[in-house]
Amino acid sequence: MKISTKGRYGLRALVDLTYHCANGHVSLVQIAERQKISLNYLEQVFSALRKAGLVNSVKGAQGGYILAKAPKDITAGDILRVLEGEFSIVDDLEQNQSPGQLAIRHLVWEPINLKVRQYMYNTTLEDLVREYRMLNELSDESMYYI
Amino acid sequence: MKVSTRGIYALEAVMDLAMHSEGELVTIKDISLRTDISEKYLERIVGILKKKNILESTRGKFGGYRLGAKAKDISVYQILTAVEGDLTPVECLTKAADCGIDPDRCATRVFWSGLLDVLKSITDNTTLQQLIDESNQISKEKIDILEYYI
Repeated sequence: MKISTKGRYGLRALVDLTYHCANGHVSLVQIAERQKISLNYLEQVFSALRKAGLVNSVKGAQGGYILAKAPKDITAGDILRVLEGEFSIVDDLEQNQSPGQLAIRHLVWEPINLKVRQYMYNTTLEDLVREYRMLNELSDESMYYI
Repeated sequence: MKVSTRGIYALEAVMDLAMHSEGELVTIKDISLRTDISEKYLERIVGILKKKNILESTRGKFGGYRLGAKAKDISVYQILTAVEGDLTPVECLTKAADCGIDPDRCATRVFWSGLLDVLKSITDNTTLQQLIDESNQISKEKIDILEYYI
């Protein structure tokens, strides 16, 4: 039960972009360095995110990417749906299910799908960046005391 | 992110066993016939579940399996984690990170940890007994519908 590399890296890269894009667009080279993701891989991820309308590209020598919407209007669910497909804990189920299989579906798989999607679509990039900023500040403070 | 076939089959097999073991032992062959899961696959799953004390067995001519605890005391979480290892959506929640990022400064680790909490709370709060009750309810409704048409 794992999230794919694409989903993991993509979400992390977008938090990085949001965190650093206050002064304008961010180049993929910088994100790649900070997040230790290969540039090639990031290019694929951002191409998919651009097509989905979540980021815009800025062309030119100083080119890069910016968010297409405000961080509070982009959710983790939006990003993961583009990179992983809509979350579903099981593949589409066959039609002729036994009462036992239906019971598992009603009490386990369907509630998981519902609650996980709620969680993903209720978490915005703004939330994730706030968290990230706190982590960085905490780490910097402890560095200061050492 | 999907649950593995092993996880799905483990739930189906334990449910089948629980529903057919009133006072008697159930053999792998019986479960296989009813669930359409191959005996070989079932042996592997049942072996793991036995190690985790979710099932217990008796050897011999009339040997077989039964639940290792009451159905109301066995959670879906216990069954799934027995065969899946854990439910973590990303490795770094339980093991060393292989991505080169300091976990304490990772931009998304807290998010994934929250997702794990969602999975845990649903599976931990659902018991085998609830699944059995739901299954019986569904069977009853099916029979009611059949009788209505006859």
